Amino acid sequence: MDRVKTFMKGEKPIATRDLRLSVILSFANGLLIIAQAFLIASAVTAVAIDGAVLDAVLPSLLLLLPLFLARAVLIYFAEQASFRAGAAVKRDLRARALDHLRRAGPVALAEQPTGRLVTALTDSLAAIEPYYSRYLPTASLVTLLPLAVLVAVVPSDWLSAVVLVVTAPLIPLFMVLIGGGAERMNQRQWQKLARMSGHLIDVIQGLTTLKIFNASRREAAEVARMAEDYRRDTMAVLRLAFLSSLALEFFATVSIAIVAVFIGFRLLWGEMAFFNGFFVLLLAPEFYLPLRTLGTAYHARMEAIGAAERVTELFDIPVPARPAEGTTLADGGRIDISFEDVGVVFADGRVGLDGFSLTVAAGERIALVGPSGAGKSTVLNLLLGFVAPTSGRIRVNGTPLDDIDLADWRQHIAHLSQHPHLFHADLAENIAMTDGVLDEARLETATEAAFAREIVAALPDGFSTRLGERGFGLSGGEIQRIGLARAFYRDAPLVLMDEATAHLDRDSEQKVSAAIDRLATGRTLIAIAHRLETARDADRIVLMEEGRVAATGRPGDFAGDPRLAGLIAEEVAE
Amino acid sequence: MSDLLRLLKLFRPYWLWMAGSIALSLASVLANVGLMAVSGWFITAMALAGLAGVSMNYFTPAALIRAFAIVRTVGRYGERVISHEATFRLLAELRTWFYRRIEPLAPAGLAKAHSGDVHARLSSDIDRLELVFLRFFAPVTVAALASLVVVAVLFAWHPQIAASQAVLLALAGIALPVLVAKAGGAPSERLTHQGAEMTTKLVDMLDGLGTLQAHGFDAAHAARIEALTCGMIAEETRLSRLSGLSTAGVGLATNMALFAAIALAVPAVRSGALAPADLAMVALLAMASFEAIGPLPLAAQSLGGTLASARRIFALADGAPPVAVPARPAPLPLNAADAALLSFRGVGLTYPGAARPALCDIDLDLMPGTRTGLLGASGSGKSSLVNLALRFWPPETGRISLSGTDVADLDPEDVRRQISAVSQHAHLFTASIAENLRVAAPDAPLGKLEEACRIAQVHDFIAAQPDGYDTLVGANGLKLSGGEARRIAVARALLKEAPILLLDEPGEGLDRATETAMLEALFDATGERAVLYITHRPVALERMHALLLMERSRIVDRRAAPQMG
Repeated sequence: MDRVKTFMKGEKPIATRDLRLSVILSFANGLLIIAQAFLIASAVTAVAIDGAVLDAVLPSLLLLLPLFLARAVLIYFAEQASFRAGAAVKRDLRARALDHLRRAGPVALAEQPTGRLVTALTDSLAAIEPYYSRYLPTASLVTLLPLAVLVAVVPSDWLSAVVLVVTAPLIPLFMVLIGGGAERMNQRQWQKLARMSGHLIDVIQGLTTLKIFNASRREAAEVARMAEDYRRDTMAVLRLAFLSSLALEFFATVSIAIVAVFIGFRLLWGEMAFFNGFFVLLLAPEFYLPLRTLGTAYHARMEAIGAAERVTELFDIPVPARPAEGTTLADGGRIDISFEDVGVVFADGRVGLDGFSLTVAAGERIALVGPSGAGKSTVLNLLLGFVAPTSGRIRVNGTPLDDIDLADWRQHIAHLSQHPHLFHADLAENIAMTDGVLDEARLETATEAAFAREIVAALPDGFSTRLGERGFGLSGGEIQRIGLARAFYRDAPLVLMDEATAHLDRDSEQKVSAAIDRLATGRTLIAIAHRLETARDADRIVLMEEGRVAATGRPGDFAGDPRLAGLIAEEVAE
Repeated sequence: MSDLLRLLKLFRPYWLWMAGSIALSLASVLANVGLMAVSGWFITAMALAGLAGVSMNYFTPAALIRAFAIVRTVGRYGERVISHEATFRLLAELRTWFYRRIEPLAPAGLAKAHSGDVHARLSSDIDRLELVFLRFFAPVTVAALASLVVVAVLFAWHPQIAASQAVLLALAGIALPVLVAKAGGAPSERLTHQGAEMTTKLVDMLDGLGTLQAHGFDAAHAARIEALTCGMIAEETRLSRLSGLSTAGVGLATNMALFAAIALAVPAVRSGALAPADLAMVALLAMASFEAIGPLPLAAQSLGGTLASARRIFALADGAPPVAVPARPAPLPLNAADAALLSFRGVGLTYPGAARPALCDIDLDLMPGTRTGLLGASGSGKSSLVNLALRFWPPETGRISLSGTDVADLDPEDVRRQISAVSQHAHLFTASIAENLRVAAPDAPLGKLEEACRIAQVHDFIAAQPDGYDTLVGANGLKLSGGEARRIAVARALLKEAPILLLDEPGEGLDRATETAMLEALFDATGERAVLYITHRPVALERMHALLLMERSRIVDRRAAPQMG
């Protein structure tokens, strides 16, 4: 809880300037309200008590007009300033959160439900904003404005001033008493919202699976139950919140009534001038107004704190340790790699690699084989910088990988994953993965090399077809080939592949193998191989078991090796 | 406008709640006006009585002030509770309604809709609809009624003041909101679309981070999100300027009402048309009556965005399901032991917008106790067969029948009741392994789950986890390796007791040894089920009774396999 509050205070400096401006403008508006009350009270006194004609009060009435205008201008700019304060914080938080997630990397993110993260980055940030745009300015004004009113009231009527001073502290007291309970409930409500959001996105993504098992209608009841739970919880929080504003309004109203009664009887007994009485009565509501505004802003604060907790959780996702500044890789266009006794232990205690040592020469083609869980993916994830070694060291062209700037290093890699992600963008951008100028010729060549031309031809708008999350009705194999086209377009000295040839028919598999041959020429290639062709064409096969190298040698050395036979699929039978 | 009407129609079951909340809100607004007016009158009258040295009846006004104060505070509380209760009831109902509407569309009808986008519609768009009652319908009704009452009361005192009040109320309550709504309509509609785009971009970023980073594109993608954030803030700034203008505008109108009331009342007091004590009353009444107008500009401004949300929700929910449910579904036929459970006759399919057909002239029979292998390269149309069999998509030509009855005459749910399947994109939910398995069989005891997992060769892995079958699966099952997730999906399909089993690349992501072991155990366990085994890899084909080879959307070769398993 305190951690969250510290976190929110930490964001304050970004907003300070605008917040200060907003408070100054609002305070000036408050002073004008006092002047306005003075003018109105004197006009009403002159007419109702002294029997003045319109001409006599006209000067003070006309003075009101510029005052009204000035107040409108002050209110407008005060609101603008506090909006800017909130927006600046929101922008900063989203940028910092995304930066953190990028540094945490895809392996750490895989453990987080996407829907929850999306809620944290959208709804929760939106709920934090009012803390800066509404709560903080109101909190500063809550002492300033009543004080100014009090200073104006004392010379007119000290008794009313006493009533105001005595009743004022009761309001925040009650607010805190009721607000404390609401705050705890509010935390729970935010957790619920996040859970509901995560659940919904999960259900929608899995709708096909649910339908296969005739569970999609059953799930409707679950959606209804969660929505109903959410309603009940939200209402419980709101009812408390409304109760605290009821208490607030009640005290403010009763206090004004007490002030009015005291003034009324002293007027009746002739102990007080009407001007003083009317002036104080006009100001009395203004004395409580900031406190009442704080009441509503206080709920904004509670919601913001609840939401901030979701956001701080996001910053808790561990980030692989990397030095801040790295050198750039001496770029001879060739990459050699050595793993020196590398170990990887994940946050949950699972062992990814254990004493893994391997030297890959520049231009060499390595096929990694081994049972699932042997650590093949971890080897690729290490090279991609998605996980950091917990022991040992990796060297690239003699330089420790840790010392190389990650972005620079990744420019040397073309990566084909097992499940290439297709982005909500057109096909050309999905292949080129750049927002710079597209190299049309390079796009054509890459598509040709990946045997993806027929896929492009079959799409309604060719390269300009916008792909959805799972492609445009593309099959797994077609998505693989688009991923392959990506790798060809990348044209990098190190190629990392995960089962790159899975899903292709024999005909295109041979062509793709030939294409990979071409791609591999003069490049270093490390492939996780599940297929004989990939392994057979390699310069060296590395057999992995339990996070380490069990055997290594040329493909011929493994002929008839029983350890390998079961791991590699054979050619498609006729 | 028709969208607004349709929305209001959805509110109909809750009209009593809404009428109650409007009545309470009106009472509380009027009580405040009364409180101010009576207080102003009260102290002026007391002062005049004091000056004149006469006594006056202060019990009645004091009682009125007390009554108004109570109605004001309690009424406000009751109104808030009731209006929010009504709104949240509606929202809960709306979410379920929306889910029920899109459920028949999946997967074909949703193929083009990004799941992040559907999610945005389901949660934030629906959330935004709360504004229709709370921020639009209720404030507008209350403001209109309260203004009528105030102007009528003022009219009894002084017609001219009533007229000036009516003009200013109309300026602040009608002209200003309409202007603000006109100016704010475009930005808030843009903001709604940007919000959906933001969700889509974030989902792309989070789910595709590996691909983005490997290609050094994550910084650029983050920069796009940053640019979108700035774009959204720019729109929000426009809206905030408008809301600042309207706050200032309503404030100005309030003050002008006060000014006009005093300026008009002074001569009336002089001429004796108005009692001196009434001057303070009329002035304060004029000012207080603007309380109800305050929320109107904002209400009008939010309407554009709210209607955009409503339109997006309706657009998706109104999509026609790709497979129609017959008005009177035929009863599920019984199957004779020697007849085909599922048969395709001359089935063809071309997806809308696709250049070439996905399936051509397919003939296929799945018999009880028989395993059919379907071999073919990716893109040859194998997975479309599964989509047709599961009634996710209707055949364009030809006929698909279940135990002799055309599937078009059957309820798609009934058809799926007869089929279990491992599809290409089998989804694992963010839940425990056991919960994921029980999607197929909600009441299956743990023993059954273990049995299925043993066959799928994944029991040992699960048992080795600290939490066993209660181990939580990460987002999209990504905490598991591809092979582990696949094997759990296979175990899940086995748990559904259906006479037909469709396996679309069940061994994907598995190493050869595990794949072979799994398929051997799987085919030992299929018994009397009719099995269609789709693969591009020649594993365990000797366990098939018949083999089909598919190429370019057609079955090009069929042969009976020699071995019987």
